[in-house]
Amino acid sequence: MDQLSDEEVEVRDEEEEEEDSDKDDQDLDKMFGAWLGELDKLTQSLDDGRPEQPPQQEAPLRQETNMANFSYRFSIYNINEALNQGENVDLDALMADLCSIEQELSTCDSLTLTESIRTPPSRLQVRQKAPTGHHGRPALASNFSLDDITAQLEKASLSMDEAARQTSSHSLSSRQHRRTGSVGTVSEHEARSIVHSSRSSVTSASRVSVNSASSMDSLDSVLRSSESDGQQPSVMPSAEGEEQAAKLKAENIRVALEKIKEAQVKKLVIRVHLSDESSKTMMVDERQTVRQVLDSLLEKSHCGYSPDWSLVETINELQMERIFEDHENLVENLLNWTRDSQNLLMFTERIEKYAVFKNPQNYLLGRKETCEMAERNKEALLEECFGGSSVSVPEMEGVLWLKEDGKKSWKKRYFLLRASGIYYVPKGKAKASRDLVCFLQLDHVNVYLGQDYKSKYKAPTDYCMVLKHPQIQKKSQYIKYLCCDDVRTLQQWIHSIRIAKYGKQLYINFQEAMRRTEAAYDWSSLSSSSIKSGSSSSSLPESQSTHSSQSDSGVSEMTSSGHARSQSVVSSVFSDAWRRGTQGEFKSVHLLCTYSTQIYKRY
Amino acid sequence: MFSSVTVEDLGSDAPPVTLSVDSGLHVGGVILKLVEKTQIKRDWSDHALWWEQKQRWLLRTAWTLDKYGIHADARLVFMPQHKPLRLGLPNGITLRLRACFSSSVFQTVMGICRMLNIRHPEELSLLQPVEEKKKKKDKNSAEEIYDLTEVPLSSASRPCLYNGMPAHFADSPQMEAIYKMLSVTQPPPAPEVIAKQYRAASVVDKAHIHGRWLDSSRCLLQQGIQENSRLWLRFKYFAFYDMEPKYDVVRLTQLYEQARWAILLEDIDCTEEEMMLFGALQYHISKVSQSEPQMLSSSAAMDDLESALQSLEVKMEGESNDMSNVIVCFRPKRMTLKGYKQYWFKFQDTSISYFKSKEESIGEPIQQINLKGCEVAPDVNVTAQKFLIRLLIPAPEGMNEVYLRCENEQQYAQWMAGCRLASKGKSLADSSFQSEIQSIRSFLAMQKTSSGTHGNAPANDESINTHSLVSPRYHKKYKAKQLTPRILDAYQNVAQLSLTDAVMRFLQIWQALPDFGLSYVVVRFKGSRKDEVLGIGPNRLIRIDLAVGDVVKTWRYNNMKQWNVNWDIRQVAIEFEGNINIAFACVTADCKIVHEFIGGYIFMSTRSRAKSDTLNEELFHKLTGGHEAL
Repeated sequence: MDQLSDEEVEVRDEEEEEEDSDKDDQDLDKMFGAWLGELDKLTQSLDDGRPEQPPQQEAPLRQETNMANFSYRFSIYNINEALNQGENVDLDALMADLCSIEQELSTCDSLTLTESIRTPPSRLQVRQKAPTGHHGRPALASNFSLDDITAQLEKASLSMDEAARQTSSHSLSSRQHRRTGSVGTVSEHEARSIVHSSRSSVTSASRVSVNSASSMDSLDSVLRSSESDGQQPSVMPSAEGEEQAAKLKAENIRVALEKIKEAQVKKLVIRVHLSDESSKTMMVDERQTVRQVLDSLLEKSHCGYSPDWSLVETINELQMERIFEDHENLVENLLNWTRDSQNLLMFTERIEKYAVFKNPQNYLLGRKETCEMAERNKEALLEECFGGSSVSVPEMEGVLWLKEDGKKSWKKRYFLLRASGIYYVPKGKAKASRDLVCFLQLDHVNVYLGQDYKSKYKAPTDYCMVLKHPQIQKKSQYIKYLCCDDVRTLQQWIHSIRIAKYGKQLYINFQEAMRRTEAAYDWSSLSSSSIKSGSSSSSLPESQSTHSSQSDSGVSEMTSSGHARSQSVVSSVFSDAWRRGTQGEFKSVHLLCTYSTQIYKRY
Repeated sequence: MFSSVTVEDLGSDAPPVTLSVDSGLHVGGVILKLVEKTQIKRDWSDHALWWEQKQRWLLRTAWTLDKYGIHADARLVFMPQHKPLRLGLPNGITLRLRACFSSSVFQTVMGICRMLNIRHPEELSLLQPVEEKKKKKDKNSAEEIYDLTEVPLSSASRPCLYNGMPAHFADSPQMEAIYKMLSVTQPPPAPEVIAKQYRAASVVDKAHIHGRWLDSSRCLLQQGIQENSRLWLRFKYFAFYDMEPKYDVVRLTQLYEQARWAILLEDIDCTEEEMMLFGALQYHISKVSQSEPQMLSSSAAMDDLESALQSLEVKMEGESNDMSNVIVCFRPKRMTLKGYKQYWFKFQDTSISYFKSKEESIGEPIQQINLKGCEVAPDVNVTAQKFLIRLLIPAPEGMNEVYLRCENEQQYAQWMAGCRLASKGKSLADSSFQSEIQSIRSFLAMQKTSSGTHGNAPANDESINTHSLVSPRYHKKYKAKQLTPRILDAYQNVAQLSLTDAVMRFLQIWQALPDFGLSYVVVRFKGSRKDEVLGIGPNRLIRIDLAVGDVVKTWRYNNMKQWNVNWDIRQVAIEFEGNINIAFACVTADCKIVHEFIGGYIFMSTRSRAKSDTLNEELFHKLTGGHEAL
């Protein structure tokens, strides 16, 4: 509770759910272990009913590498639809349904489909058949014309609607069970999805009675709107509205695709450590960028908006850390951690994160001394370096200490940075480009900051950087250690390597971060209520995650809070749209808006 | 008074036509009289009077002879303003076309670019070619010249497009072929051709070439360029604005060609790794441009839907992933396990798993390895029938090295393609799988032929001598077949690029080279007693010490306050913020060239602010004209 702000408490009424967000890792671990046991059983029983499942998925694989793909380290849990109390998740569920229907469309005759949807039991059979049918099926796009697909989608949404109206809470539960199973078969990481889908079925089964009311509501509303979407083209006179109809169809397909994607999203619960030694637990979905996670953390923690807030990965075993770049995918990075990892994810302010853009003259000009520069000139310099069609990599070169592979000694070499990688000058040669020896290329490595290497590795100074593949987590000859004479050189190198590696993206990240900072100031002038609702809804995933880790105690509130929630979802969606008013985001914002209006209609 | 005018069209032997004129007569009147006297009926509209002694066109027909200061002794020539020129393009092709000899070179280039459909002509200019050695004469006869002199002169700012090309190229199949020549990249040159080309050996050599740019503010005739002279059209200012593959087919192609030759002739320095990547891109570009001849893209909206449907397709295919079962040999690089052992391998999604035998493949694998994020490197020697795939698989403990040895080319191509896709997180069901196999096979074919013919065969479509892709330095350093695996290594990262993307990637890497965009002039700094080199880049000036070859000082245009040219003593003086003043005299080039470079780059940088399609010619002239502009 201690990290919760007053505001959040004020808005939400499920405070006690928060309680264990600060519990020991041990507790969570134990619970996770228990879950795993349950899951094993469930997986087996699931497999019994699914003979077409490839054999190697039955048991944990004897895979030495990339363990991360199917196991989770103790500070990260995958919780998917187990937590389907909120509207968010109901939408997910719906999309999953749409997805599986989409699949059936391509296998079965649309007539039988309608039939099967009307009667839940038979639908069950169809679904189970579906995976086997896929093998012989030709690619969809080649087989179906645009019209076919749309027509089928329309039918699907219609029948979905009907089915939804007919289903009782009982059938809903059975559907959830199956749905999650079928999602698993579509997704890439089959093993993983099966694991959590089966888990979800456990939890959802126990909660159906409570959930059904709220989830049915939202289900219905979304369905109704997709129905009206679908009907539009058929009503339209064919002669003159043809082009528009085509557009609408295309839009429908897009929405459907979006839904399909949505349905396959996995979510992780992560623990984020704050600089005051406390920590927060939150849920992130696998598509979220570091920027998005930072945004939600910032909204929750009320620590003042600054572009310097960073998510920092610390690898304790190797004594190194790295600031995640805003555009990176957080989950992807965290999956590189091993099961028994001591790694931490820190949420903290780091002025060096965007130092390049605040004082470009100190990094981009290859100067040895720091200096001041007029703001106008800074902008011009940044525009010059990042505005063109290609990014000019800062001219970094100089003597650095290199720790030899597997040896304890450090040797001096003259290094140069180029867009194509880091090079050094071989002994007895001039530094002509053609004679340079490639030390490493930057595609596969990240640059880390080494900590206290003087004592750990007998480095000449404590200003060390490390280059390694993100998946390497333990001591290895494939990790390269470089040591600089002073902190300034070190920072220049690290920033220059980042520029060489990410190029313009880095500048875009910075501009985006600045835009948000400005937006945050604007927001503070708006009415406080809208901010409150925004923040309450965005912290929703957290309450869900903690909720699930409890035994079924807090269930009773769910119905009562349902109404308030969907409102808050709406406002957060709009605030999101407001904040992300950029071109690129437009599509997703548009999508969000269609959802929110559907929810809105109900009230 | 009497005035004698030579009429060019009457032939060089014909005596000058003598006219009796009044000094108050305007130039138009003189021309009228002249035409009447020749008694030739034709279109004289392009003709004008040229004053030979003063090296000056008399273009203002309303001005009187008096106003021009013309007396009886003036030698006037009556000739067309547009004359044929032999124009060498960056891709090595020579065109014969009509260029304007009476307007400033800047406008002449604009006209040429309009004809050739190149946007942003301000980035290009004309360069006097390096004198070719005498022995070239026999070769010269073989050189093909593409004739464009029949193209009507138009003044429209943007030619109307027909079939994606300017209307005058759509007239006949011959013209269409010329346009194809302009817009499609040339096949890699034979290694001997590269070796024979002039290569600037030092910065000073390069400086001499940069001294050959024509003056943009004066016309061709004023600079001694005669009819049918040979000139090079080149990108001069390395600040490429608003590159749009949709409209810039010719521009991109020619820019690519210029960059490619700069790399091949070591006009710009790069590392060996970079050279291999450039080589791989050249190979890829030449291969793809044969299969997809035009850099044209369909409408954006269709693309969008197309990709949406494609992703749907992928989603649907998701689980019908092909499994291909092949026997491969395998060696985990461990101390205990020496040599190769045979296993039954299975490829699924992005993982490979292996079994003792095919029979056991139903059960649990000995090991399963996910290839996502791994590095894949080839180790191939076709003649020795060695087909190794080296996998470097990241793991928490470091990188695991695994070698897969394939039996034959076919198997190798399949597994290599699979590994590459898997390393990018794509499964075998991905649509690019087949094309990936195809490109690997064609690359192997290349190794076969290049080792067989000792690199002497001219490039045909299937096989390219790898020596055609790198600079002569590497011809000496590596044999063609040694080069193949190195280029193949770099090639795997670019093999999936479309033609446009590959060209753009090439240009990006070129632009990221440290010495990119530098033009050199040998100068003598004020107060210094030795020659030094001034490098002029798109955003900065650098001072290079000739003795050491190092950059000793960098000045950026951003903090430049003003620059002046003293035309009398031919000295350039520049003032930077913070009371930094430099002054120098130019040795290898006229100071007008330096002035034009600096002013030109300043002009290029103003373009982003004034985002309009019309070219601010006046501003360019102001910034680069020098005393003529005043």
